Amino acid sequence: MNGYFNKVSGKDVEFYEKLLGSKNLSISEEELVTNSIDAYPGMFYKPEIVLWPETSEQVSSILRYSYDRLIPVYLRGGGTGLTGTVPIYGGVLINLVKMNKILTVYEEDMQVVVQPGIVYNTLNKELEKYDLFFPPDPSSGSVCTIGGMVASNASGLKAVKYGTTKDYVLGLEVVLPDGKIVKLGSRTFKYSTGFDLLKMMVGSQGTLGVFTEITLRLKHLPEYIETGVAFFPSIERAVKTVYQIIRNGIDVAAIEFIDEQMIKVVSEFKKLQLPESKAMLLIEAHGTEASVSETMKRCVRIMKDNEAVEIRVAKDIEEREKLWAARKGAYPATLRLGKYMIISDVVVPISKLLDAVLNSYEIGRKYGIEVQVIGHFGDGNLHVHWTSRDDKEKIGLLHQANEMLAKWVIEVGGSVSGEHGIGVEKKKFMKIQHGEAYKMMLDVKRLLDPRCILSPGIIFDLEEVVH
Amino acid sequence: MNEYKYSELMLDEYLEDVWKCIRCGFCNSVCPTSNTSFSYMSSKTSRGRIILLQAYFSGILRKPLRDRELQELLDYCFGCRRCLEVCPPGVRIPYMLWRAKHIGRRHNLLNKLIYSNYGSFEKLCSNFPSLSNNILRSRFGKILLELLVGIDRRIDFPEFHDVSLEKWIRMNRSSTSGKRLAYFIDVFTNYHEVGLGIEVVRLVEKLGYSVEVPDQREAGTLLLEAGMMDKAIKVAKENVESLYKYIMNGASILTSSPAAYIALKYDYPEILGDSKSKLVSEKTLDIIELLIKEYEDGEIRFNEKNSGRIIYHHSCFTKASGLTKHIKRLLTLAGYNLIEVEECCGIGGVWGMSKKHYNDSLDVGSNLFIKLRSLSSPVASQSETCRIQIRNNAKVRVEHPFSYISKAIELK
Ligand SMILES: Cc1cc2nc3c(=O)[nH]c(=O)nc-3n(C[C@H](O)[C@H](O)[C@H](O)COP(=O)(O)OP(=O)(O)OC[C@H]3O[C@@H](n4cnc5c(N)ncnc54)[C@H](O)[C@@H]3O)c2cc1C
Ligand code: SF4
Ligand code: SF4
Repeated sequence: MNGYFNKVSGKDVEFYEKLLGSKNLSISEEELVTNSIDAYPGMFYKPEIVLWPETSEQVSSILRYSYDRLIPVYLRGGGTGLTGTVPIYGGVLINLVKMNKILTVYEEDMQVVVQPGIVYNTLNKELEKYDLFFPPDPSSGSVCTIGGMVASNASGLKAVKYGTTKDYVLGLEVVLPDGKIVKLGSRTFKYSTGFDLLKMMVGSQGTLGVFTEITLRLKHLPEYIETGVAFFPSIERAVKTVYQIIRNGIDVAAIEFIDEQMIKVVSEFKKLQLPESKAMLLIEAHGTEASVSETMKRCVRIMKDNEAVEIRVAKDIEEREKLWAARKGAYPATLRLGKYMIISDVVVPISKLLDAVLNSYEIGRKYGIEVQVIGHFGDGNLHVHWTSRDDKEKIGLLHQANEMLAKWVIEVGGSVSGEHGIGVEKKKFMKIQHGEAYKMMLDVKRLLDPRCILSPGIIFDLEEVVH
Repeated sequence: MNEYKYSELMLDEYLEDVWKCIRCGFCNSVCPTSNTSFSYMSSKTSRGRIILLQAYFSGILRKPLRDRELQELLDYCFGCRRCLEVCPPGVRIPYMLWRAKHIGRRHNLLNKLIYSNYGSFEKLCSNFPSLSNNILRSRFGKILLELLVGIDRRIDFPEFHDVSLEKWIRMNRSSTSGKRLAYFIDVFTNYHEVGLGIEVVRLVEKLGYSVEVPDQREAGTLLLEAGMMDKAIKVAKENVESLYKYIMNGASILTSSPAAYIALKYDYPEILGDSKSKLVSEKTLDIIELLIKEYEDGEIRFNEKNSGRIIYHHSCFTKASGLTKHIKRLLTLAGYNLIEVEECCGIGGVWGMSKKHYNDSLDVGSNLFIKLRSLSSPVASQSETCRIQIRNNAKVRVEHPFSYISKAIELK
């Protein structure tokens, strides 16, 4: 649908400039280029202008104007998205990093109201003062924004205990594609007041509206934390350990799986000197000293039953932080192994975890590519890295392998994405993942954005939204 | 040769690093110049700079790499190396950017002359210390320095000493026997912080070492930052050749400046890649490491007289050098109650002294200055340029950690 949208003209630039001031917009080539790609290994798609609004009203004016002018609008927070949510059709890019304030902390209610551009770690650092935190803990937490997290329903290392972003979003102020501002949700944890439009917005990847204010519920910082690692002689033993820990209802805060090659990668990245083994589990428990010690004891028993060759407990905060820093950098660190890589983000019912891992290696063998597996195994979420050391020709095979695994996952009742979202990358799976429900999603998109100016080409093809 | 090919060649092995970057942005979270009032712009962040190179080498950014605007953005990396610690695929960001800046270097003749002969220039001034100091202190001198060299007139430099450290050591060396140390002094200590150097020499001599001063040039970090790669390589080679001879005669290389330590330990092997520079790297030890060794061997202990609060400022180079844990340990052993501050002062070697970037450097350092002023305790910072910036802008007492530690040392 080339030619469907209007280009940003000199007059449009004038409008945006009048609205935001000259400091809050850029058409410099360098700024456009650096906003044209995220962490997905895709192509560069340059916006025609970058805008930095500072208020909800400014966002609303930008959208109203762009909607009328039929100019596409894309959104960017930390730019760490892994699914290619970039300006495929050019147009306006709203960069939300200047809307980065904490508006209110309701300490007694354990809630916070923030603007979308605040970085996850910055928010939690501030919340420490109140003994509170926002738990999802994505690996990209030092860079990603709360707006981006809500838009992707991000989660992370502690989801097995604390859940995902959607479990914490109580309220949203949303600017709709035509510029209308609506407030969704409530400051109460429960409500029964008709359709839950709030939850519909979570995970919408910038296709239904721009979140300009976000109310989150929070948790108390844990009183006591212990982190341990265990090394296993086989993948089977490690996965069985995860299964038994979850099946026995043991209250772990994190249980991360790392395979043989990835142990070497993370060990090299953070100079950890981890022993060689087939698989490693990184486990953390939160609670009181007594409860944590009990949890760890139960985990250790199961690990030993499963022939763990070595079990270590982090001796201090420094060691714990180093272990987590290594785990958080695992995905990008994989590029130490090879030049070309794509990552899958599938989720399976936990009874299927072992099959999923073994199947991934099998697919890798079939396509003659390398495979590394890590994941938030406590909630069945696998990140499979499909890599090729230096053979550019194999990029196509990486995608084919990824697709094969995704289809298998859907067959066994899983999802093609646990936390990264659909973006451009996984559009092709939407129909098989959702069947008839996919049409309902399209209808919602058409209802809220009939001209499809907000993030066109993301989640849905433009042609499917506007005929 | 076309412009891309030339740039590819210049980036050499670092071209691979350009493609290793997956744009995770972890470097942004620690990069001092990516956390300022201007870094809402993606092009003024660490990740942004790598994206610019990726875009350039994929033909998306249709500008020559030596384009002035593009080069100005790359110049927002001041080489502090904080990012090296956090980049998961191991992109050697500053090393890569020095190469990219080399392509676009645009210094006037005088600048070039002074940058590449910075050591000799300092030496010349130190021959006439009172004249040099009068000029440096005067408004006229400052304006002149700004016009000629581009150093911002608002900066107060420490004065030249009457005698350089090198000369002092040659005249006052008390021991010629014992374990040999070849002191790689570096320019700043040699002419401006002679007192610190003397303290170092006196202590190591008491510990049974003999100190020699090999022929040496400036460490060359300034040249790397300015994108003068060819000159930096030349200086590195000269220093390595000179130090190598001492090592062959059984000496170890001593440093007290983190810039000098990093140059010998990491930069020279990286940019020269030969066996001599690797040996020099192995044989280099900082005064802080030496003290730790002597303490662990039971040769020194600490008296109990010191107490009180010291603010330990994590200078970027100390972080990158891996010496932090030793400094903290020694300060604690010396009886100080440490408060740590992580914020960067913004100076970035000579980057923040330049007229072009002085305001940016104040922007980077603003949080640190506020914090230091409010804490109002003496500060320990290992980097000489950080000390200048802190003194000038936070107006607090700031010394090399060694100065605090040495007061508490008792020999066996
Ligand atoms: C190294 C690395 C590790 C990662 N680890 C994890 C992980 O553990 N868990 C996880 O869930 N994800 C992870 N991710 C993916 C990514 O970090 C998350 O999806 C994150 O939530 C994106 O946030 P962002 O601010 O960077 O968003 P961006 O990348 O800027 O945008 C992502 C999407 O959000 C939309 N958006 C942004 N702001 C708004 C807003 N205010 N209103 C509406 N829509 C908006 C955009 O349109 C886009 O579709 C990782 C990424 C990397 C590079
Ligand atoms: S940390 Fe490394 S991989 Fe991540 S954006 Fe920076 S240079 Fe790229
Ligand atoms: S070396 Fe320092 S200034 Fe340069 S990109 Fe890395 S962190 Fe930023």
